Amino acid sequence: MHSALQDKVGEVLLPGDMFSFESSPETIGLTASSRCSDKVVCGPGLRRDGDRVQACKSGLLRHKPPNVYWIESQQRRYVPTKGECVIGIVTAKSGDVFKVDVGGSEQASLSYLALEGATKRNRPNVQVGDLVYGQLLIANKDMEPELVCVDRSGRSNGMGVFGEGGLMFKVSLGLVRRLLSPQRDIVRDLEQLFPCELVIGLNGRVWVKSSSVQRTLVIANLLDSCENMTAQQRQSLFRRVAEGAL
Amino acid sequence: MSPGDKLCVPGDKLCVPGDKLCVPGDKLCVPGDKLCSTEDCVPGTGVYLRHGYIHSSLAGYVLRKNKGEELPVISVVRETETQPLPHVGAIVTCKVTSINPRMAKVQILYVGSTPLKDPFRGTIRKEDVRATEKDKVETYKSFRPGDIVLAKVISLGGVQSNYLLTTAENELGVVIARGEAGAQMVPISWCEMQCPRTHAKEYRKVARVQQEYTCRHEDVSIAGSLGGATLFHTEHTEHPILNQADMHGPFAKS
Repeated sequence: MHSALQDKVGEVLLPGDMFSFESSPETIGLTASSRCSDKVVCGPGLRRDGDRVQACKSGLLRHKPPNVYWIESQQRRYVPTKGECVIGIVTAKSGDVFKVDVGGSEQASLSYLALEGATKRNRPNVQVGDLVYGQLLIANKDMEPELVCVDRSGRSNGMGVFGEGGLMFKVSLGLVRRLLSPQRDIVRDLEQLFPCELVIGLNGRVWVKSSSVQRTLVIANLLDSCENMTAQQRQSLFRRVAEGAL
Repeated sequence: MSPGDKLCVPGDKLCVPGDKLCVPGDKLCVPGDKLCSTEDCVPGTGVYLRHGYIHSSLAGYVLRKNKGEELPVISVVRETETQPLPHVGAIVTCKVTSINPRMAKVQILYVGSTPLKDPFRGTIRKEDVRATEKDKVETYKSFRPGDIVLAKVISLGGVQSNYLLTTAENELGVVIARGEAGAQMVPISWCEMQCPRTHAKEYRKVARVQQEYTCRHEDVSIAGSLGGATLFHTEHTEHPILNQADMHGPFAKS
């Protein structure tokens, strides 16, 4: 199984591609003790079906040693998942709860007490149309998602209402993960161009603010175009913009 | 005595106004019909008295019962058998229809072991899910939509509210649940169930099923037996939902 998966690392898989544990003519089931060293941890996009592993998303197969495999897919539609930090737009205020659009099938609810410094007497100043950066506390297919802007100890850690003077736009989820990856190639290249403020939400939404409106628009367009470019193309584009804008 | 199988369609002639209801039979009536006078019969259910006459207050069949006293009891019933209503303290079998962080909404299907013709709606509040650590309960880790749950009625509710149910006992909780992959899951502890196909564990508030609570669900077929669960009784139960067809799940101890 390991060898079968290793061969395919970096290749495009389609939903339905299966990997089985067979390596000899007689089928050895998962419970056989001889296979206990062959442990495979399935990440997103891979599902276990009996004693086979099946791909259920289309994308590239990635591997992290020792035994974690997952499928990296490019999709634009966001599915709310617990623990992710997202950018939401406040759409309604009803009683104690704000309704926030995070890009999923249902609007998330944000209690007014879940913002830093909010008490029953000291209500937070949140208007309809504001941008909010928060973490999803509850997010599953059976319930309405719930957003909070404080962590467990009550501090905001950069979360909360923001968005004066910037521009928010939508990109694919794959690009967002690349922006937030530990290597941070794209962000590092961007830093050398113009100073700017960036807020990146895992639901595919990015907010940019720079010293002038023109620069903000330039950065937004650059990030949009980074989607389908290799590293060299991106760096040459950034260099051209740096020379041209000065 | 039963009304018989007299079916009718709109427009059918049932009887002539003025027919005397002397012999109990399949006599239909609508609300407001004058049945007889107070001197002839004693009023039962589904009727009311007005100006010395007994009138029907329901649309249904007229029943006369001779109790052995002087006057027979006249009543109007909608159906042949009256269905049992859930009373406070009854154990009911219900199906979860939706969940939200505060409560789970369910549809009551069986009262005890008798099925209901029209399902009633019930609510299981977050604090009634289990007896200990009530404030740390997460509805998503106790029930999911589609689960079959054994619960006890704690309140009939008002006019606009549903029946209030509780699962705060060992024998109450989720009995049948389907996993994400669609296969029926096998309980492995009081708070976890495992799918036999994908071996994925999911959280539920699981019921420890006892022999006397039997229901007759025919639409659910099961794959494993409860007998293999490590923390549970290892006896076969009489619960027909969980009656297994000679198949041992992956956790059965032979």
